[in-house]
Amino acid sequence: MSTIAETASRSRSCRRGGVDGWRWAGRIFLVFMLLYTALPMVWMLITSIKSGFAAMQFPPQWWPDEPTLASYQKLLDPQNSVGQDFLRFFWNSLFVSTATTILSVIVAVPAAYAFSRFRFPGRNFLFFTVLLRNMFPAVIFLVPLFILMRMLGLVNTHGSLILTYLTFGLPLAIWLLKGFYDNIPVQLEQAARIDGATRFQAFILIVMPLSTPGIIATAIYSFIGAWNEYIYAYTFLSKNEQLTLPVGIQRFFSENTTDFPGLMAASFMMSVPVVVLFLVLQRYFVRALTEGAVKH
Amino acid sequence: MTIVTGKTGARQELRPARWSLLLQKIWEHRADYAYVLPAIVVMLIVIAYPIYYTVELSFFNTPPGLQLRDKIFIGFDNYTAILTSQVFWKVTWNTLVWTLASTFISFALGFAAALALHRDFVGRGVLRAILIIPWVISAVAASYIWKWIYHSDFGIIGAVLVGLGLTDRPPNFIDSVSTVLPSLIVVNIWREFPFAMIMMMAGLQTVPDQLLRAAKVDGANAWQRFWHVTFPHLRDVSTVTILLLAVANFNSFIIPWIMTGGGPSNASHIWITHIYELAFGRQRWGVASAYSVLLFLFMMTLGYFYVRALSGNERKEANS
Repeated sequence: MSTIAETASRSRSCRRGGVDGWRWAGRIFLVFMLLYTALPMVWMLITSIKSGFAAMQFPPQWWPDEPTLASYQKLLDPQNSVGQDFLRFFWNSLFVSTATTILSVIVAVPAAYAFSRFRFPGRNFLFFTVLLRNMFPAVIFLVPLFILMRMLGLVNTHGSLILTYLTFGLPLAIWLLKGFYDNIPVQLEQAARIDGATRFQAFILIVMPLSTPGIIATAIYSFIGAWNEYIYAYTFLSKNEQLTLPVGIQRFFSENTTDFPGLMAASFMMSVPVVVLFLVLQRYFVRALTEGAVKH
Repeated sequence: MTIVTGKTGARQELRPARWSLLLQKIWEHRADYAYVLPAIVVMLIVIAYPIYYTVELSFFNTPPGLQLRDKIFIGFDNYTAILTSQVFWKVTWNTLVWTLASTFISFALGFAAALALHRDFVGRGVLRAILIIPWVISAVAASYIWKWIYHSDFGIIGAVLVGLGLTDRPPNFIDSVSTVLPSLIVVNIWREFPFAMIMMMAGLQTVPDQLLRAAKVDGANAWQRFWHVTFPHLRDVSTVTILLLAVANFNSFIIPWIMTGGGPSNASHIWITHIYELAFGRQRWGVASAYSVLLFLFMMTLGYFYVRALSGNERKEANS
């Protein structure tokens, strides 16, 4: 509670050194949150550069006596079987996530635009139906989707995952983008139409560029969601050469239950692409939330 | 949903005229539907069909191999089996604790962090980025990281506790019935508070500075300014954030599944992991589907509030 009010007192004038209680409470709180957030990740990194023997000690070596990159070398070496599997899982994840992302944008952009601009009958109903998808857990859809994918002949293909992931991302994507389009003045398009552009041209040339932050945010969201997804990949795929990273790592660990350095190294490398992507593009994401979802 | 029922209610009185008008309107707007069509088709395939199927399966006894031709109609037997089983109440209680604790603590921490990060200071951007990372990384990775941290022999928390002389030997965080659920909730909050933080940071940017300054001039103290100016502005964002968190927590699967698989003795089974185990572990498709239908009904109730919160925003938008 303390910090809540501390920032309520954030108006510029109180910045002149008069450090009040709320402010200190806020700082202490942030330090606490930093430790809570960062220590597990630091411990992951430290463990990943230990040897298997060094990891299994009590009390633990806070810093490894002999730091080693052996786990990373093993995972990234295409010569041995572990490395081959890991790299394959990595490419599978990359392929599925990229395809999902591209398709999400292609489907979400026109839908969001229509929900924002057009007033067709059933608009609200359809919009909320799309949003309701968020309400239901993957597990509800698992059995019937499994049957459906069997019917479509998609079990054990990446197509089954891409189709399914598409629907996770869509609700939030459409909602975010719709907020963006709501904030772009219709007059801009009308001006373009008067100058002779078709509705489609006006959309591509005027509206799309203005909503780029929203599209980037949508793309990040889809990519991260697909990259991290586990349940469907775990259920739909059984062939080793098609697994995506989360399932692949789980399978690897169930065979090597004590290789914690290897597991931590794999977890770290699985996290790198999404973390880097998010950190590079996060300002778009926060901006999209601010302009798309929150501001009215 | 509410909006739609409201409209149909009005429509019924003037049915003949309204219907042809509606059809005419639909026809006039036929080009507009082309934009939404891809989204709707995908949604229909992946949502409507599965829902129909789940409801159907819940009234049948389907053989373990999922040979659909051999299923036997058994009416409500699957439902009575669920509601009379002991596990059901245990799992429901776990789900409630898990959802409520995760949602409110994540929200409180995220909100507080957003407020503390709102004022500019050196290193704010870096700090914010670090705090967001747990939300971005995979829940599978998070589960393994924490599983290692909680490890009963070599876990770091146990080692610290022993080092401080608080216990003689490292505690079993996730292998003991009494501590497993709170331990998993800590992991879940670790992954989820950043989402609340991002949402509330976005919300805070919409609070007008002038109002806060005016309140200050009028002699409102920090708490009063928060309670009477900042907080009312954030009510909608807070509602949406809490609802989204509640839904996500109610639906979570990965953390309990990977860290404990629901054990020991069901102490960390929540609805979703339980359904998954019934379906794909024990292949009791009928019972699992019946569970899903119950869950579905519960989610529809929550969904009603979710849509109400969102359509609240819509209406305001229409007025502004």
